[in-house]
Amino acid sequence: MNRWRLVAGGVAGAAGAAAAVVVLRRGGNPRLRQNLRLRRGVAALLLVARGGARYAGSAHKLFAAAGEHRQRLRNDLALQTAEDVATTLGTMKGVLMKLGQMASYVDDGLSPGVRRTLSRLQDSVPPMSAELAAQVVAEELGGPPDQVFARWDPDPIAAASIGQVHRAITRDGRAVAVKVQYPGIAETIAADLGNVALLRRMLRITAPSQDVDALLAELRERVLEELDYRREADNQRLFARYYAGHPTILVPAIVDELSTRRVVTSELADGARFAELAGWSQAERDLAAETIYRFVFRSLYELHAFNGDPHPGNYLFHGGGRVTFLDFGLVRRFTADELEPLMQMARYLCVEHDPEEFRRNLVKAGFLRADAPLSTDQVIEHMAVFYDTVRESRPLTMTGDYSSAVVRRFFDMRSPVTTYAQIPRSYVILQRINLGLFGLLGELIATANWRAIAEEIWPFVLGPPTTPMGEAEAAWRKARGPAR
Amino acid sequence: MSVTAEPYATAAGLVERSAAAYVSGVPEHPADDGFFGPASVTWKISGDLAGPIAGLRSLLMQALHPLAMAGVDQHSGWREDPVGRLAATSAYVTTVSFGERAAAERAAARVRRIHTRVSGVDPVTGRRYEASDPALLLWVHAALVESALAVRRLFGPAIGPADADRYVAEMVVAAELVGVPAARVPASVAELDRYLESVRPELRRTPAASESMAYLLDPPGLDAEVAEIWQDIRYGAVVALPEWAREMYGYEAPPLTAGRREEIRQVLGVLDAVFLGEPGVLEARQRIAARMRAARA
Repeated sequence: MNRWRLVAGGVAGAAGAAAAVVVLRRGGNPRLRQNLRLRRGVAALLLVARGGARYAGSAHKLFAAAGEHRQRLRNDLALQTAEDVATTLGTMKGVLMKLGQMASYVDDGLSPGVRRTLSRLQDSVPPMSAELAAQVVAEELGGPPDQVFARWDPDPIAAASIGQVHRAITRDGRAVAVKVQYPGIAETIAADLGNVALLRRMLRITAPSQDVDALLAELRERVLEELDYRREADNQRLFARYYAGHPTILVPAIVDELSTRRVVTSELADGARFAELAGWSQAERDLAAETIYRFVFRSLYELHAFNGDPHPGNYLFHGGGRVTFLDFGLVRRFTADELEPLMQMARYLCVEHDPEEFRRNLVKAGFLRADAPLSTDQVIEHMAVFYDTVRESRPLTMTGDYSSAVVRRFFDMRSPVTTYAQIPRSYVILQRINLGLFGLLGELIATANWRAIAEEIWPFVLGPPTTPMGEAEAAWRKARGPAR
Repeated sequence: MSVTAEPYATAAGLVERSAAAYVSGVPEHPADDGFFGPASVTWKISGDLAGPIAGLRSLLMQALHPLAMAGVDQHSGWREDPVGRLAATSAYVTTVSFGERAAAERAAARVRRIHTRVSGVDPVTGRRYEASDPALLLWVHAALVESALAVRRLFGPAIGPADADRYVAEMVVAAELVGVPAARVPASVAELDRYLESVRPELRRTPAASESMAYLLDPPGLDAEVAEIWQDIRYGAVVALPEWAREMYGYEAPPLTAGRREEIRQVLGVLDAVFLGEPGVLEARQRIAARMRAARA
């Protein structure tokens, strides 16, 4: 068993599957479809009624409610000193944990041994003790938390990858979530990321077409970005500003004066966790999936930004399709030039039905070598699977099984296309997240006409609303004026 | 050159079996704190990442005593199952360090019993040996204690001279457990150094030591990624040897720079992550960490 190579393969594999998509039951179950139509009416009402219900309760009620989701964190293991942090997350472990987090969005392609190692590593990080967290807050915000905030819960409500989340009430009465970074972690991870030779060894990839150095460069850059919470706050502000007033997409506002390099404070939100959706009606799950789908593609095409962390813990669900998006630590912003070929690929394959132009853009984006001695039919045959949900306008059900099939396709070294395919560095994160995202939608077993929704969003189509949510969104867009 | 023609078995499964050995030595609901306890320097040192380097360095030292080497070579099943032999040693050391007193005593009694059956003649010096000889046991003990300190000095977070003395003193009981009278066991760093100096004239590299150590420095059959990591562990162990020991073996090691030290700690971190992925290791670590944190308060 070759653990680190497989880790690398997993990362790269996730990265390589362009717009992975999950289809099992084409058209879905007829009874289900009818139910959906009926429930859509109800959903539209819910959407309209939403209004200012975002933070319905008082700050204190919210403060109490958010704590109900407190994860079981081992306080007997709490990190008490910066040295404890260094022992637990230093010497490559923090870096491996981040790489593992990235790899973990793929359910397939990782051997059980690798997956176990990486998930154990994530489990191995205990919370900070109340004193250590307070010390970081004091260093960052100029005073101990019980002075800086009107109320401070010393017990964290959630673990973050390199920190933990505390709830608090600000002096002006807002319920907030305060993410506090482990002291010294940024320095140790930055130092460990400097050992490129060792990282390369761990990422060594068997496929000749994959460029380890490009992958490594992108991963290093993204992880380094995550170490500075100010960048995360900037990203969250960008999304919060853009989605202000959106009927179903909620992004908690950043509290500027309480956000620094190692502390980021945002409005506290409460809602159902991803796991709880299992007990919700399929109609509700479909709406939640529709919101996530719209969020991802609107953000990409209009904000030119991709929130790269489809971890189930980063969503809160409120019913009626309303979803709060949390954690903007891993956001990739794209230039128009980077985005253009992606857009053209979708356009020529799905809308214009022009395979040669599709291929030209594939090459232009760097996914395929220009001199690949392959027929365009072969290329289409290989790549089309990644566009399955948006090639035809009809209801499709996403399932988990198919996401595995897509990953396997990516790993299919027998395909002649694989030899000439690669993942350009700018898209590494995008592709990886795509897989994770569709994995999530697959877990919801969500049905929608994804093509119709995509047409609403695709800048080269800008189709009319096709669902109640689309109508509510169109009204929001009209009211808010042009993006950005 | 070769004394015995027995081939060595491969080192496949080294990580898995070491992990299982470690887990077996860390009790779930201990009745007492054992012979050291969560506030001891021993626990602190035993938990460091550099453990594999200290372990290898300690074997390199121990093997330089011809009688100790002959005993291992001729009796322990070392050649047929080197990984099993190493795992058994790990399990023993872990049990004595972290186990409750009764468990440590049981493990020690078993070792003493096995030792009574181990005796013979060293083919190189022609001297008779018995594994239960306190002089040999003391050598093995001292080499282990001194290796832990030497490796900690080079690779670990620094520990002060007072803690180093405390560690040597704490470890006296480990020697007693296998049958060395406490009065003969060094109880401070200075005593330990004097003792090692006194043994030096007896030390030499026998063919059995050369062969065994060549095997350990480059174990065949490791998983590819562990084999790469092993190169750094080997370098760490060799560079941490006293110069005279390196010369005896004829090893060369470029001097340790600050940058190289950092790289080696990073590699050790990766190995530790692999180790953590083995069943039960994380839980065993957490049991120890929780007790150590509680003892701090």
